Amino acid sequence: MRLLVLVVLSVALMVVDARFTLLKPVRSQMSLVLMQSYWITDLPQRLWQGVASQFGSRTELVAENEKLKTENLLLQGRMQKLAALTEQNVRLRELLNSSALVNEKVEVAELIGMDPNPFTHRIIINKGERDGVVLGQPVLDARGLMGQVVELMPYTSRVLLLTDTTHSIPVQVNRNGLRAIASGTGNPERLELRHVADTADIKEGDLLVSSGLGQRFPAGYPVATVREVIHDSGQPFAIVRAVPTAALNRSRYLLLVFSDTRTPEERVNDAAQAQENLDAQGGGPIIPATVPKPVGVIAPAAAAAPAVPAAAPVTAAPAKPAAATPAKPAAAHPAAAKPPATTPAAKPPATQPAVVKPAAKPPVSAPATQGGRE
Amino acid sequence: MVGATASRNDWMVWLTFAIGMLLSVSPLPQFMEILRPLWLALLLAFWALALPQKVGMVTAWCLGLAEDVLYGTLLGQNALILTLITFLVLSLQQRLRMFPMWQQSLVILVIFGLAQLVQLWLSALTGNRQPTLALVLPALVSALLWPWISFGLRGLRRRYKIN
Repeated sequence: MRLLVLVVLSVALMVVDARFTLLKPVRSQMSLVLMQSYWITDLPQRLWQGVASQFGSRTELVAENEKLKTENLLLQGRMQKLAALTEQNVRLRELLNSSALVNEKVEVAELIGMDPNPFTHRIIINKGERDGVVLGQPVLDARGLMGQVVELMPYTSRVLLLTDTTHSIPVQVNRNGLRAIASGTGNPERLELRHVADTADIKEGDLLVSSGLGQRFPAGYPVATVREVIHDSGQPFAIVRAVPTAALNRSRYLLLVFSDTRTPEERVNDAAQAQENLDAQGGGPIIPATVPKPVGVIAPAAAAAPAVPAAAPVTAAPAKPAAATPAKPAAAHPAAAKPPATTPAAKPPATQPAVVKPAAKPPVSAPATQGGRE
Repeated sequence: MVGATASRNDWMVWLTFAIGMLLSVSPLPQFMEILRPLWLALLLAFWALALPQKVGMVTAWCLGLAEDVLYGTLLGQNALILTLITFLVLSLQQRLRMFPMWQQSLVILVIFGLAQLVQLWLSALTGNRQPTLALVLPALVSALLWPWISFGLRGLRRRYKIN
């Protein structure tokens, strides 16, 4: 009798939990106490780390310090270039009248537990609802995308990893923009691309980045590298296997991505505002580095943007006369102008910064007016 | 007098359950994850045999709910399974007490195996299909662990006079 009551109760609970959000508060209250057990089971490792760092020998620490310094130097070197590229990317996007590059904010979270069920790939992190985490939020590690938040608790949350069998993520090949969907296989070292045509241009070693098409993950983060492409004439599609770039089963520190919730218009306005401020300050240190490209490259793009008749001649004139001829066909097909405008811009030939300074200003102010009009 | 000692040492039972819960989420190497014994079910089986008047299906159900929150499964899934296990153990209680240890282990194996099959069925309903045979491995490991758990907890019970 008691069994019957309890069984019926459990089934009712399961149905309610699966269909409605009624039980969410109950669950989050219970987790407040129970999730401590993950923290407790994680304690020995924490202690061990503490002890290890306490008793690490001097030479080891010096060596590590040395290594970190060189790494820091390298990263900062890369950052300098990145700042320039970001700046330029934003400007190009504004010229193309497309939505501005989203500047995501990240926050560091720490792994506190793995899901005990070996058939699911989920982890538990030490940031929860009270820290501003939201459902479906993307999670990264230092090397690439890891997964998304699937369950929120007050101070912890559960993250579904990319390699779980129930997870798929829209990706694109970084080399040529080919879109595909990468599904988890239940193996922490493997993703599979489903329904990729046999003739598709994809090969071993290609980097797959998130395409942002699912509206869930931000675009442009590395997801996986292609390990093997098998063409089997008996199969309708090519079999493409990839290895996640993130260390899914090794990373301890993760990054939570907070993408901004502004509408595209607000974003454009904000970007324009920021640009104006920057211009008011006399360009800032980044501008000279980006300047060289506008001469050769941006001019056709500016002309291609159909909405800026006033700004186009200004930019085209000081740029170079030769650009005028390729600009004409580009103006006819604004869409076709996109790839050539962005691809050569990717490699920055940082020469002759002094000559070009005046040319840089017009493309900057042009989007500002555009943004204001919208 | 007896009642007084019993109420004094009740917390030991709950302590074992708390430890069982910790063990059921403790990190394990990848290859051992599949073999993780059903700690809570083992403890429940022992206490249900030893103290049927104290630990019963309601206890099992509450612990199951706690486990659901820990594992992030649907609320009620593990509750249902632990209730079923406790029910089977309680209904076989008179016989189980008479059995030698290896026979008890066999019965535990069968009961836990059944429970794991129900688990498989429930998780298939909720969309997480799992490799079938590997799922029975925890039941096997639990059955192998049963004699040790049983001896250990019996010693604990004698020592603290839990009844």
